[in-house]
Amino acid sequence: MRDERVQGRRWRAPYDGSVTTYADVRPTQRTPFARYRHSLWLLTKRDLHVRYATNALGYVWSILDPLLMAAIYYLVFVGIFHRGGTGEQPYIVFLLSGLLPWTWFNGAVLDFTRAFSREAKLIRSTAIPRTIWINRIVLSKGIEFVFSLPVLALFAIFAGAHLNWTVLYWPVAMLIQAVMLVGLGLIIAPVVVFFKDLERAVRLILRLLFYASAIVFQIGDVPSSFQGIVALNPLVGLFGLYRSAFFPHELSWKLVLISVVGSLIFLAVGVLVFRRTIRTVLKEM
Amino acid sequence: MAETTTTDAVATSRAERAVIDVAGAGIRFKRNRRSRRSFKDLFSTRTRRSRPDEFWALRDVSFSVRPGEAIGVVGRNGQGKSTLLKLVAGVILPDEGVVDVREGVAPLIEITGGFVDDLSVRENVYLTAGLHGMTKRQIDERFDDIVGFADIGNFLDTPYKHLSSGMKVRIAFSVITQLDEPILIVDEVLAVGDKAFREKCYRRIEEMLAAGRTLFFVSHNEKDLRRFCKRGLYLEGGALALDADIATVLERYNSEYGV
Repeated sequence: MRDERVQGRRWRAPYDGSVTTYADVRPTQRTPFARYRHSLWLLTKRDLHVRYATNALGYVWSILDPLLMAAIYYLVFVGIFHRGGTGEQPYIVFLLSGLLPWTWFNGAVLDFTRAFSREAKLIRSTAIPRTIWINRIVLSKGIEFVFSLPVLALFAIFAGAHLNWTVLYWPVAMLIQAVMLVGLGLIIAPVVVFFKDLERAVRLILRLLFYASAIVFQIGDVPSSFQGIVALNPLVGLFGLYRSAFFPHELSWKLVLISVVGSLIFLAVGVLVFRRTIRTVLKEM
Repeated sequence: MAETTTTDAVATSRAERAVIDVAGAGIRFKRNRRSRRSFKDLFSTRTRRSRPDEFWALRDVSFSVRPGEAIGVVGRNGQGKSTLLKLVAGVILPDEGVVDVREGVAPLIEITGGFVDDLSVRENVYLTAGLHGMTKRQIDERFDDIVGFADIGNFLDTPYKHLSSGMKVRIAFSVITQLDEPILIVDEVLAVGDKAFREKCYRRIEEMLAAGRTLFFVSHNEKDLRRFCKRGLYLEGGALALDADIATVLERYNSEYGV
């Protein structure tokens, strides 16, 4: 952040004093970037550790949510409406390949609303680059997403889905999603500090967004009069990119382009909002 | 011969380079926390003039600190002492002016802040020291010192939340003072803990001062201020009223508000 550079702070040149006794430890002082990475990693590890060490079913919890959702939609569409015969097959793989990245998105955005308040004590007492509070959420939810992929692989094997070479696009999709989330976090986290109502609003918007992101249905199923609006949702192209690993027809470069442009816009707006608000946020801590 | 002179010159310039440079720093807060906020408030630029519902907690504060100085901040309650400390610690940012801190800071402000209730004492030590920039190897090397100083040997694998409040403060103090950061910031945290441990903490601070650390100390206790500090900053109404040696500063404080 520009502001933090102006303030000087601790990320300056390492101490080169030759008189003092701590000189022997200072050479291991890291560059600002290495230090940022180190702190980010420590906090992410702490998140995961607390989650997995304090719950008996630690890992299961992080995949139970998408699994339950997949089960419900599978029952509703295949069991009750008998829609299983149409659209992409197998439907359960179609569902999971959209629901798992959605879980990452959803979990991170929910956590953004408490990014500062949850760590108020630490923010008041330690000067850590402020963007870490957003990036660590994106990172730890992203790691949980990666951990949940074996579940998708199992379902794909047992349901007999065909893996396409386009699975190689997954790292690209994850990068787009990470950029989009960081941008959203830089906007949501500071603004929630001032407008508590936003916390509830975010929950509602997320629920709406779930149905607007073509997760339980194909974008082709949407009536053509709505398709233009749905296509503007940057999540649609992103989930299509993930899904192309099993369903090559889901890949639309036009929609992916919308995702890329959308996430870059979020990031740019996020950086601006964060810079302008961080002073006031810190006073509220 | 010529070489020696150069080395001396370098040493002098190093000693004189300020570690903390505060120039025209000011920060304002809302008078009424509950007052309505608007998006305009949120995005207000840092130099905008103050509005009626705001006050300057600090304004036009300028001073610089050389390495190894021990500075005591004096003033009544609500005159901006803790705010100044937080600015130097980097946990809040000034609305105007510059606060330039060129070295790492070991902040003894809300020292238990970084500790996680659900993690064990051992994990917490690694986490907090790590967040302050120590590598795992450095922590390994000092782990025994940290635990030894806090004197809580049998509770290493106890969840932090099960420690007594005294123990919590002891382990936190112990970690922060092992950080090897050149600047130490102390905000009256030492009011907690029993007498024996407080004396132990004071001796640790004196050792650190003797080793060349820079100290920034806020206290109401005149004895403590005289014990550690050479120079005093007297804050009055958010302005730096006097910057002199600690005896002069305390004299003026006592003459104005003394008992």
